[in-house]
Amino acid sequence: MSSGEYADRSAQPAPKASPEDPPTARSSDSGIIRQEDPAEGLVDHQPDYHAPIDHGTSQFSPIPKRVMDGGEPGNITPAAVLSGAPVDLQARTVRIYRPAKTATQSGDWHGHHWRMDWDILQKGHRWENPLMGWQSSADYLQGTHLNFSSKEDAIQFAKKQGYEYFVQEPNERRIVPKAYANNFMHSPKRLKKIPTK
Amino acid sequence: MVINPTYLAQRTRTSLNWQDARRRVIYAYRQWLRSAPEIQQMYSLNMPVSKIRTKVRQEFERHRYVNKLPVVDMLIMQNDAEFQETLNYWKQISHVMKYFRETENPTARLPQGFMQGFLEGRN
Repeated sequence: MSSGEYADRSAQPAPKASPEDPPTARSSDSGIIRQEDPAEGLVDHQPDYHAPIDHGTSQFSPIPKRVMDGGEPGNITPAAVLSGAPVDLQARTVRIYRPAKTATQSGDWHGHHWRMDWDILQKGHRWENPLMGWQSSADYLQGTHLNFSSKEDAIQFAKKQGYEYFVQEPNERRIVPKAYANNFMHSPKRLKKIPTK
Repeated sequence: MVINPTYLAQRTRTSLNWQDARRRVIYAYRQWLRSAPEIQQMYSLNMPVSKIRTKVRQEFERHRYVNKLPVVDMLIMQNDAEFQETLNYWKQISHVMKYFRETENPTARLPQGFMQGFLEGRN
């Protein structure tokens, strides 16, 4: 912790907490935005091998980096805590994107909503079933996606549920304005548009 | 028509303040501790009563750092539902044993460090 960010606590009396306060309320320094040291940031981005284990943890479950416990600052509803969803879901990365327009047709009726998709598991993603050779999976979210009407909705949902998410911006179609007359435009130097290429 | 509530049903209410919430949580915790021998006898669990009490403590500690009062209210309501279901024998042994998965099932664990996780293939 850098020493310049906090007031000198030794000069002030120790703040007394009472049962009326919420568990992590600080009586002072609550408005100061804290700068994170590189070492502290590293802790959040490393897998947490001491994360809580629940009824859904198995030999295929990935290792979470952060598990939501309801003590996060801010106004996000900790739905990950309340929903009873397995803790493994907070370990898996989620991609928020807009599905591309169908290339075989001109209409773009499918390309306006936002979709949330789960990255595959490292280990239990897919294997060949020994009986029939069909594809078995230990991933209960295999082939599942959620649709949202806007990017902010999707991000809010991912934050609420404690998912690690990344947003993939769509490739917008770039329509180049063209004029047929440019094929015949005179230019004293090199031609700006060469029609025979 | 009078509707008679089932045994251990709780009236829906919210906490007035943090002190009220604290009182409700501690009351609920003590209720679980008092009922641990009954749970062991009811579900024929093959473990000492202290293990059940430790598990109750663990589950309560999981939510120690919640800092929003409505979330605490929601957790108390879920706890009341769990308590009613457990003590009324509406659950089955498998539902109770879901909480003890760490000790009963050796595959329910996270790897101990990077190397073990890498060798297992899950990262």
